[in-house]
Amino acid sequence: MSSFTRWIGLLTDPKTFDSYMRYVEQVEPRIGAFIQFDPHLGLRGSSPEGLLRGVPFAVKDILAVKGFRLTCGSRILEGFVSPYTATVVEKLQRAGAVVVGKTNMDEFGMGSSTDTSFYKQTCNPWDPERVAGGSSGGSAAAVASGMVPFALGSDTGGSVRQPAAFCGIYGLKPTYGVVSRYGLVAYASSLDVVGVCAASVEMTEEIFALIRGKDERDQTSLEEAGTSGVEGFHEKNSNKIVRKIGFVSGNLGLDSGVERAYQKTQEVLRSLGYEVQPIELSMLEYYAPVYYTIATAEASANLARYTGIRYGYRPEYAENPEELVRKARSEGFGEEVKLRILLGTFVLRSGFQDQYYQRAQRIRTAIRKDFDRVFQEVDVILSPVFPTQAFKHGSEGLDPFQQKVADRFTTAANLAGIPALSFPAGLEDGLPVGFQLMAPVFGEELLFQVARRFAEAVPPLKAPFNTSPWS
Amino acid sequence: MYQSFIGLEIHIQLLTQSKVFCSCPVRFGDEPNTNVCPICMGYPGVLPSLNREAVKYGYVVARALNCQLSPVTVFERKNYFYPDMPKNYQISQYTQPIGRNGYMDIEFRKKKKRVRIHEVHLEEDAGKSIHAGDLSLLDYNRAGTPLLEIVTEPDLEIGEEAEVLLQNFRRMVRYLGVCDGNMEEGSLRCDANVSVNLRGQGLGKKVEIKNLNSSRFVRLALNYEIARQEEILSRGGTILQETRLWNENRDITEGMRTKESAHDYRYFPEPDLPPFKADHAFLEEVEACLVELPDQRKNRFLTQYNLSETLAEFLTAEKSTADFFERAVELGADPVGAATWLSSDVQKLLNRQGLTLLESPLNPERFAELMVLLQEGKIHGKLGKQVLELVFQEGKSPKEILKDRNWEQITDPSVIGPIVEKILTKNPHVVETIRRGDLKPWGFLVGLIMKETSGRADPRVVHEILKERLQVSFIYLLTFGGAISGRRDPDGMVVPGGSAAIRKILEQNPSWKDVVRVEELPGEDILSEEITPADWATLILRTATLLQEGNAKGIVITHGTDTLSYTASLFYWLFGNAEIPIVFTAASLPPEEGSEAAQNILQALQQSEKGEKGVSVVFGGETYKPVNLRFLSLDPMRFYNWNAERIRNESPSPFPLFGGGLGVETLRERIEGIVRKIFIVKVFPGLQGDQLICLINAGVRFFILELFDTGTANLRESPFSLKKAFEIGKTQGVRFFCTSQQEGVVDFSGYVTAHALWKEGAIPMGALATESVYTKLIAAFLYAESEEEILQWMEENGASIG
Repeated sequence: MSSFTRWIGLLTDPKTFDSYMRYVEQVEPRIGAFIQFDPHLGLRGSSPEGLLRGVPFAVKDILAVKGFRLTCGSRILEGFVSPYTATVVEKLQRAGAVVVGKTNMDEFGMGSSTDTSFYKQTCNPWDPERVAGGSSGGSAAAVASGMVPFALGSDTGGSVRQPAAFCGIYGLKPTYGVVSRYGLVAYASSLDVVGVCAASVEMTEEIFALIRGKDERDQTSLEEAGTSGVEGFHEKNSNKIVRKIGFVSGNLGLDSGVERAYQKTQEVLRSLGYEVQPIELSMLEYYAPVYYTIATAEASANLARYTGIRYGYRPEYAENPEELVRKARSEGFGEEVKLRILLGTFVLRSGFQDQYYQRAQRIRTAIRKDFDRVFQEVDVILSPVFPTQAFKHGSEGLDPFQQKVADRFTTAANLAGIPALSFPAGLEDGLPVGFQLMAPVFGEELLFQVARRFAEAVPPLKAPFNTSPWS
Repeated sequence: MYQSFIGLEIHIQLLTQSKVFCSCPVRFGDEPNTNVCPICMGYPGVLPSLNREAVKYGYVVARALNCQLSPVTVFERKNYFYPDMPKNYQISQYTQPIGRNGYMDIEFRKKKKRVRIHEVHLEEDAGKSIHAGDLSLLDYNRAGTPLLEIVTEPDLEIGEEAEVLLQNFRRMVRYLGVCDGNMEEGSLRCDANVSVNLRGQGLGKKVEIKNLNSSRFVRLALNYEIARQEEILSRGGTILQETRLWNENRDITEGMRTKESAHDYRYFPEPDLPPFKADHAFLEEVEACLVELPDQRKNRFLTQYNLSETLAEFLTAEKSTADFFERAVELGADPVGAATWLSSDVQKLLNRQGLTLLESPLNPERFAELMVLLQEGKIHGKLGKQVLELVFQEGKSPKEILKDRNWEQITDPSVIGPIVEKILTKNPHVVETIRRGDLKPWGFLVGLIMKETSGRADPRVVHEILKERLQVSFIYLLTFGGAISGRRDPDGMVVPGGSAAIRKILEQNPSWKDVVRVEELPGEDILSEEITPADWATLILRTATLLQEGNAKGIVITHGTDTLSYTASLFYWLFGNAEIPIVFTAASLPPEEGSEAAQNILQALQQSEKGEKGVSVVFGGETYKPVNLRFLSLDPMRFYNWNAERIRNESPSPFPLFGGGLGVETLRERIEGIVRKIFIVKVFPGLQGDQLICLINAGVRFFILELFDTGTANLRESPFSLKKAFEIGKTQGVRFFCTSQQEGVVDFSGYVTAHALWKEGAIPMGALATESVYTKLIAAFLYAESEEEILQWMEENGASIG
């Protein structure tokens, strides 16, 4: 039985289509999840048949969908319409799911609030004063407000898991390479993965089973031996059972609400029969610096293609090609993006690579090994996603530097290439708190297993803005 | 003394079906921006997919360049902004390229060299910018084309070597089928690095030269740049490390950007492409792509088909030509004949019609059919040429063409015999005249027979039958002046004497009387030292005619002693491949003064009756080779062959048989035109470069320099240096052919001055003596249609070890 039962056929039946449109018209103006919303356009790209026939879903505006805009939240891609569709989206369209729109995000995925978007502000469906998190804030907010049952996001250093935690939904960052990146606009290629935001574990799992698999257009994509197809995946994972859960211990610098919820979560897991034991991640303090060194280095190259020459924002006048490029980039990129390009260029300078970029790569290898060691002792790891709950927009929230430091819990999974799932763990002070589970590579099923059982004890809650009759 | 170091960076576009990271076709000349897709246009979100075929071609080239192949090859991003580069980084290779530490062997002017290959790596090409007035237009069709970069070590010294390397490399990649090697269209591109420093002080400041879109420009630009840097250094200046552009309109290099503003490419591993593992199966595929390379094939042709260097070189320059040739040989064509036809008549037709062999209507089957018809004597050469032209015009097989026109030649003696009989019966007076020994009406008889058969009778068969019926086969004795046919006048001086004395000798030896026909050339009495181009023209043409008429079983030429080494060697080059013996002889004194002249003449007659075919010299009971003939002593007069042991016994002349076909006046004019441009200089202490420059200014274009030892001359900066003459000479297209003052092979590898000569473009002439080089140059002029061909002939071995 599909977890999408109530959503199936919603957009393919004209009557339900209209009621769906009315719901979104009522909710979206207060949330601002979408940069572009156009289910009519989306319907044209989907198969009329399939497991997810007529199920609406949202796509972070960093994934290509033919005919839809592809802005990455940046002015430099203003007006750009994608001529092709990302592999992940194609797979869902073939299953009948319908892209209803492109969701707001931090510019090129660089941020934790979605407030660096050039286009609009996205509000948290639990409290519009607060951010939905980022960078996949639009996708998380669209799910949490009941406009879609699931949405695609991208996760380079926590960009799916953190907004999911802020919005009280599930956020999956799969093993690196298990989901094709073809059509995902690159921020940091060796860290980027396509992730899933969804309202339930079951939905997350179902979508993951659909989108995973090797893609010839992405030569870094992988297929775990003997697991091709949806069935292969379920078969492979059905006989592994999680017994030991290690929780990251030590002085983690969590807000009091998050700290309380962390304790409670450990208790709940214990009560479910798991062996819950503290573990130490010896390299925790390196995660954020290593992440920002590697990610910005790759970003400095990945973002070099935006010049206003072939597509996107183009300055009105330039004397010569060089000036055209200079103007397009200085007017088209936001401050955070420029900061990261500069940083990346800096760490790649010849003569300094050993000191920065290559050193970061060596530490990254050490981080992977550290996880290998931990997974000898425990089956999965429980960790905070973010030290705070959803913060307020603007200066009352976290400044960009604090946000970067706060990324230390989530960046680990990207650096190590392992899967991680952020799950809702109840409310503190009226706002959701989420934690994440991490598993060894290809261990997604272990994450779902624990999250399913946890949901039985602590069911996910609907946000106040979510009045959707289908969720 | 300065030393120059040249390294090349060669880029080739690989002839894969699709681009290196996407499935767009690799095709040139299409509408701009039609062979593009989101991937090669660098659209957001796309990823590269490595084209396995391109990697394979890369490994094939690296293997052919004797590189160590990487078991795992890795891609990197090379970051820099350029409007025609879609991603503003180029996917290239840096830490683990496809191949490393290879080499390529080259040879320039007999000097062999192993040029080390630093690395071979694969990358993607950029698009093209077109600037039109205020607009900059971009065409991305080329973006993403697989590009293989080959980097050599700085092992080259002069532009000529770089040119040779590039030409060999181009031929190699064409053989391998991985690149079409077209430099004008940019499918093969070359940048060069040059540095000049004082000898022994290692590399100097590196200057990079770009915009070299032909191998000729590579040579010119490098030599210009070396001279420029040497001049700066000799003035005490320093070289600026920079990139310079070759300006082909002005023939100079011009500064473009200095190293200070050079890019920091910030290489880092391409995260979108996993390392490529060259596993066993892949490497087997690579091996399967290797073919016999041009040099190997040329060497095989030399031995297997007994071809000359020039023909082997010609045939193997293009794989398609070599394949065509070998197929025709398989089908029965004689290798030497086929090679000669391909290089001459076929090539002329191709040039005229602007076709390549592959595009032409001539295929190996048709060509072999023509060759077999010729070999079997079913058609003669002249008809063969006509048939060949018709194959080109009508696209039919030679046999069809002959049949269509009823042109099949009559070669059967039993058919021609009765016709000859008929003609002879009708012309009893003519027969009588010829039987008396007057051959003048011979041609008249042949003409009648040809008319009777509508020109279809094989002239060779006609001549054979006539010779048999009329019983004529003569030794022709051509007197060409000198003491051997002279006499002493009342003052005691030796003066020219026509043929009287020689006729007298023959009268005293009646057994020779009936077989020998004496002709007096060049018509007036001369002594050896008085020979002029006109005399040579007369002798050459008479010899050519005799060879064609076929009534001679041998030719004896009596000649003066002084210039014998010139005429004999000239005849070797022109008639070395004659089917009958051509024997030169001479005497130190007039016949009336002793027995030497008579003895030599009789020896020559004997040799011409049963001796080996080709040219030889007899004197005083000895037989000499016609080249490198020199006096051993004057009293008694003795000759010897200089560098005797180095003259190949078996080697035929590299030139085909001289066919004449010109009037005496024309030939005289041509020879005069040639010799006017040639000058022989024996270097001596005190010879000044300026003296040679005077000669250059007077119109000399070909120097034969007789060097000290086996290859040295003064090139140190001073008035006595020849360097300046070489430099001025270069600008005027002057060539310096070098012989030596001592026996031995000219060798530029021994001394620093010899090496300098090599660098300056001196052309070593192997073991050839000066006189033989002089006549070879005349022969080369008579055969060649361009200066390049002259050089080819001159560097062709023939008679001497190179």
